[in-house]
Amino acid sequence: MAELEVKNLSKRYGKTVAVDDLSFAVEPGRVTGFLGPNGAGKTTTMRALLGLLAPSAGEALVEGRPPHEMAEPLRTVGAALEATAFHPGRSGRNHLRVLAAAAGIPAARIEQVLEMVELTGAAGRRVKGYSLGMRQRLALAAALLGEPRILILDEPANGLDPQGMRWLRDLLREQAAEGRTVLVSSHLLSEVAQTADELIVIRDGKLVAQATLDELTGKASRLRVRCAAPARLAEALAARGASVETDGGGDGALLAGGIDGEALGELALELGIAIHELTVLRSSLEERFLELTGEEEAS
Amino acid sequence: MRLLRSEAIKLRSVRTTWTMLGIGLLGEALFAGLYVGLASLGEIGSVLDVQTGTGLLMVMLLVLGVLSITTEFRHGTASTTFLATPRRHPVLVAKLVAALGIGLLTGLAFVAVNGGLALTLFSSRGGELPTTGDIASVYAGVVVSFSLLAAFGLGVGAIVRNQVGTIIAALAFFFILSPLPELLPGTIGDYFPAQAIGSLHSLPEATEDGLGQVAGGLVLAAWSLGLWAVGTALVMRRDLSE
Repeated sequence: MAELEVKNLSKRYGKTVAVDDLSFAVEPGRVTGFLGPNGAGKTTTMRALLGLLAPSAGEALVEGRPPHEMAEPLRTVGAALEATAFHPGRSGRNHLRVLAAAAGIPAARIEQVLEMVELTGAAGRRVKGYSLGMRQRLALAAALLGEPRILILDEPANGLDPQGMRWLRDLLREQAAEGRTVLVSSHLLSEVAQTADELIVIRDGKLVAQATLDELTGKASRLRVRCAAPARLAEALAARGASVETDGGGDGALLAGGIDGEALGELALELGIAIHELTVLRSSLEERFLELTGEEEAS
Repeated sequence: MRLLRSEAIKLRSVRTTWTMLGIGLLGEALFAGLYVGLASLGEIGSVLDVQTGTGLLMVMLLVLGVLSITTEFRHGTASTTFLATPRRHPVLVAKLVAALGIGLLTGLAFVAVNGGLALTLFSSRGGELPTTGDIASVYAGVVVSFSLLAAFGLGVGAIVRNQVGTIIAALAFFFILSPLPELLPGTIGDYFPAQAIGSLHSLPEATEDGLGQVAGGLVLAAWSLGLWAVGTALVMRRDLSE
């Protein structure tokens, strides 16, 4: 069973449709990136999964049940939603004490998570004086407080410096390696590309893609090859299951997909075909992401 | 119990609570000292009529009750609060108990200051103290009114949610619009909150002008709990999208 599941979820605010018949499942033991441009419905979906807002239609399920039926909420799901959701006059440590008290979490755990996010020194100060990065880390500390099986983090990298980003990546990987479910949203693909095992991409509240990083970018990368005997090479490539077509450039070059440069080179050597030119046409991650989420409809 | 502890930490961990109650108690002491110390004995009449300095503390408790819920919406902490308790209504129950509790504790502090200052000053100037029973019953009324006022603020805050709006509405209701119900025919006006507080702060038998003390308390309790129930129902349904 998927730890987090969204089934035909829709959320409307008056005439605005924030989430539109969205379905996906998030599995444990890996980091799942939740991507989409700003306003795509990521936050709304996450809030529905946390029981903070009621779906207009469909369901959002945590461990197979509606979120408000969770027996031990903070030990089931930890969430960091917004770096600004603190009472400015309350200290970081007291913010965590409020949550720990509500969930019956021992005080020793507060010091542990403060240590984890490297906020021990600032924990006694009022949040008012925290930088955005410190607030992000406090929000993460709150999410980790109950040692939850599931983590839901909304744009946790906002405001972190490069060191902080690296620290966050390591933390997420660690949590996933321990078998936890990690769903982390971002509007920047590059932020999650190095961390996420799987990506869920949405646009205008609808699912655009759910795939691994390789699947998402690999599909798009092709080889452009110019050689002495294109027809023979094309035949051999097709026989190996690669996709082949002739490049429209007029120089007789082939475009091959589903095969890497090494394999193609060796194949050509076997056939005794001289290669004149071999280029990898890699669609960059950002390009692919923009393709998926861009304004123009992929027809 | 866990949630009540959580609410207690929320109240204790911000300076606003201490500042407001400190100013309220200080103001009360100052007012009681000046009035009972300086006014002529004849002017004072019964020392229990003056309610020396309850006004400021009542404002503070009303506002504290409001803040106990509106700050959660204003700063977005409602999301984390309701993440820890997705069923939501237990939080509202804990907030109600916390509001009644802070009213009770403040009420006891008021009794200590007022009893220690106003009554001692009054009797040292040769004034004749009311009977112990009368003193106890008026003080009890003050304590109950403090508790119910904090709960009243919580209820209005849960309904309105906007912090500034709620505070203005609650203060206007008690301190500007409060004489209006008295213009209503018959005894209808007696059933409004400000009038009920008046009854609560009077001696039990002072029924000539308004309800009796117990009835006044019940009327105010009905207002506070009614508003709280409506507020709770609304908070249960509303989306938290920020």
